[in-house]
Amino acid sequence: MKNNNTSASRRNGCRILVWTALILVVSIALILTQRFLRDEPVVYNDPVEHFKYGSTGGERNLGFPYWIWRVLPEVCADYLPGDGFASVGMIYEPGRDLPVGMSKRRHMGMDRVFLNCAVCHSSTVRASADAEPTLVVGMGANSLDLMAFQKFMGRCVADRRFTPNQIIPRIQAAGADLDLLDRLVVYPLAVHLMRDGVTGLLGRMRFIHFQPDWGPGRVDTFNSAKALFNFPIEDLRSDELLGAADFPTIWNQAKKQGMQLHWDGNNDRVEERNLNASFGTGATPRLIDHSSIARIQAWNATATPPAFSEFFPIDQAMAGRGKVIYGEYCADCHGASGRDFSGSHVGQVVPLGQIGTDPYRLHSFTPQLAVNLGTPYAGSEYRFKRFRKTHGYANAPMDGLWLRAPYLHNGSVPTMWDLLQPRSARPQTFWRGNDRYDQVALGFVSDLAEEGGRSFFLYDTAVPGNGNMGHEGARYGTELSDADKWALIEYLKTF
Amino acid sequence: MQFLSRLPRWLKVVGMLSLIVVVLLGYIGWDRFLRAYPAQAFDDPDERFKYGSIGAEQDAGIPYWIFYVLPRVFPDKLPGPGGYAAFGVTWEQGRELPIGFTKRRIGFDRVANNCAVCHTASYRTEHYSNPVLVPTGPNHTLDLEAFFRFLVDCAKDPRFNADTMMPEINLAADLDWIDRLAYRYLIIPITRKRLIEREAQFQWIYRHDFPEWGRGRDDAMNLTKYFMIRWPMDDSFGPTDMPSVWNLQKYSEERGNRMNFAGDSHNAYSVIIDSALGLMGAEPKDREDFLAHIDWLHHYLTTKPAPTYPFAIDQAKAGQGKQVFAAHCAGCHASERTGTVVPLAEIGTDRERMDTWNAKAAAEANQVVEEMGIERKGLVEEPLTGYVAQYLDGIWLRAPYLHNGSVPTLYDLLLPPAQRPERFHRGYDVYDPVKVGYLTSGSEAVHAGTLHDTSARANSAQGHDFASQLSDDQRWSLVEYLKTL
Repeated sequence: MKNNNTSASRRNGCRILVWTALILVVSIALILTQRFLRDEPVVYNDPVEHFKYGSTGGERNLGFPYWIWRVLPEVCADYLPGDGFASVGMIYEPGRDLPVGMSKRRHMGMDRVFLNCAVCHSSTVRASADAEPTLVVGMGANSLDLMAFQKFMGRCVADRRFTPNQIIPRIQAAGADLDLLDRLVVYPLAVHLMRDGVTGLLGRMRFIHFQPDWGPGRVDTFNSAKALFNFPIEDLRSDELLGAADFPTIWNQAKKQGMQLHWDGNNDRVEERNLNASFGTGATPRLIDHSSIARIQAWNATATPPAFSEFFPIDQAMAGRGKVIYGEYCADCHGASGRDFSGSHVGQVVPLGQIGTDPYRLHSFTPQLAVNLGTPYAGSEYRFKRFRKTHGYANAPMDGLWLRAPYLHNGSVPTMWDLLQPRSARPQTFWRGNDRYDQVALGFVSDLAEEGGRSFFLYDTAVPGNGNMGHEGARYGTELSDADKWALIEYLKTF
Repeated sequence: MQFLSRLPRWLKVVGMLSLIVVVLLGYIGWDRFLRAYPAQAFDDPDERFKYGSIGAEQDAGIPYWIFYVLPRVFPDKLPGPGGYAAFGVTWEQGRELPIGFTKRRIGFDRVANNCAVCHTASYRTEHYSNPVLVPTGPNHTLDLEAFFRFLVDCAKDPRFNADTMMPEINLAADLDWIDRLAYRYLIIPITRKRLIEREAQFQWIYRHDFPEWGRGRDDAMNLTKYFMIRWPMDDSFGPTDMPSVWNLQKYSEERGNRMNFAGDSHNAYSVIIDSALGLMGAEPKDREDFLAHIDWLHHYLTTKPAPTYPFAIDQAKAGQGKQVFAAHCAGCHASERTGTVVPLAEIGTDRERMDTWNAKAAAEANQVVEEMGIERKGLVEEPLTGYVAQYLDGIWLRAPYLHNGSVPTLYDLLLPPAQRPERFHRGYDVYDPVKVGYLTSGSEAVHAGTLHDTSARANSAQGHDFASQLSDDQRWSLVEYLKTL
């Protein structure tokens, strides 16, 4: 009997041990699952906040670990032109730890951040040198130097300082509450994964090293598309290798459906254009959050630009005279007004020989690229079907025209006054990136190299791709009298 | 039953569960690897010709997502930037696949080819314009040899593995976990193996002592010899121009017409079957279905009219040219002789194409097709003696000329052989309405095209010396008249 008791108690002991182990394993698994498999973006109910800080789903692809992002400007301070990411033109709203255009998501056991649409489609405006900047969502990011940002990221992750030993103490110093697992496993691994991810992406985007500096406010959209397809960049011909163009405004999209979109008018569907742009936020077909994109589309279908008159006065009598000139010279191609986009040639492509503007952006979109752009989102209802090679530039409607400066597709003409001059009288060089507005010439201040501690980018129209030719001659208004030009400009302020 | 009831309960439960798992796995396996979905149907005949499946996905099909990412993983193996466009496929903007590429799900999506890949022409009126695509016209821009080599070379490359390809696939696709596992562990390795297996038969396209086929050419009878009847490699080499395949009703068996450049085949029906079998890569799984496709193609190609010349024609000049044509050309190109074989001694063009094929090969190929249970009159089991005098319908869109595409334009063809261009670039699709053909020189032609050197093997521009005695005026008026055909 004694033996039986012993073996029974032994059996009981065993059972308890097995159950305890099982419960322990299950609990740990649950905790780890909860910690590492959570996949939740930070959500904003207000559509504008969603546009500025909401996720497109792309953080899961190349999202930077939030805390690494936070300390990166310190780690590689010498690779930035100034303090923090603001020095490459990112905009920080008061009280915000992330710039406009950056979203956050809990993923893989940490917060990850990546760019969203707003980083390229928001900027600031100051009415005078001492005015506070006003954030304008939906306009082109005139101050953002995306190429400088890309080069910074590439250099920093490849730097010998980009190691767990350098980064983790800085993260702790910045106030992060890292536990043992974070310090020993999660963040060391994150450093290496981030290096791999950024190096891989920027390796595909290596064409930027063969290009002149874009400067603030510009991006090369379609050489980026070639990078998506992994075209062998080194084999591209020089005439297709430069395609930097201004960031566009994205208001009133509902009225623009069916127009030839993009600078060269290569697609006439807003949704396709948007999905294509979303690749820039890391949103691949597998990761994209279609409902989030739908929210942005619902917002910018009807979003409108801020009125010039909220910032500056308009001489209505003079504008009235300008309206007549506008109707005669501009309306057929650019729409009846800043709200009414009707006009016989609005949203259509004008052949290059006729418009005469810089050819590089047009040629960067090659026939080969056009056909390859029938393949993204294959296997789904979203597959691209509307990309077409064109042979000129599209007539854009001009809502928020005052905020679209610098003008022409490549941003080569600083103000509307300059655009109304023949090429010979347009500035050959000027400074880009200032957010102070010049209400007289209609454009941003472009004659200062620096202001208020910020330095700007010297834009040289002699650089290939930067040409300021075209959109000139009698029918383009460059031969009007000065009085007529000033009247026209006054009217254009109402757009 | 007695036996079953005596089994312990846990064993029964385990047994039932295993059975369920096996059935489930079996279903998934069938669904994801074998289940044949119907191919997309097309109402428009041209659309069906361009994109309709002829059933080649079964054996020759490449898994869709592998096909999709190959140019992204192996851009270094392409003839230039542009993905598959770099091969000169005709590709309509906004379409998922180039013309002549078909997609069908047999377990998983697969891509294969149909006739249109080699038989759709493309021309542009000026460099900065979009191409006009003509189904059933010759694809003079396609570098087929480079495409064949690309597939084999990719498979042989160490990067052809799941670790390299899956991240690229995941960038583009939204596959569920079963498909991701299937691609990783089965589809990628098996595809690699099957592509590498093709290498032995493709040996001759790797030979350095043969020139490149170049854009718009195809060594068709050697393909038949090495793939259909699986002969060991010999020393023959005879790439020819992709032919137009419109209006095939012009060939009349009763009048003794033969098809293919050297008159190797009896009739259009046979040619269509043999070409389609080449695309299939194996005996058709469903013969009735295959023959139904053939019947449709036969009807489409016999009745499809040749395209008319799209530019202005000087009618007065063309009228003079008609006289010249009647006097100097009609004897072969508009007579009872048209469509029949002209002896090599008389035509005098490059003989290499003729020598790639013979009566014994024809007999063997006919045997292979007969064993598939397919009835057709088939290949001519006689020695080849020359080249077929061509019907000239749509001749304006069939440049470069002669069977081996050795003469860039009609005007050049009317010159004495010694005065024809010795080197030119073929594969640029901007049209030359003056000499009638495509532009073959200038930086854009050089960039887009491949060099044709008439001194290289099988590339000779000799022969067809029937207009040497004409005056230049007569030549130009003849060229004008030929635009009307």
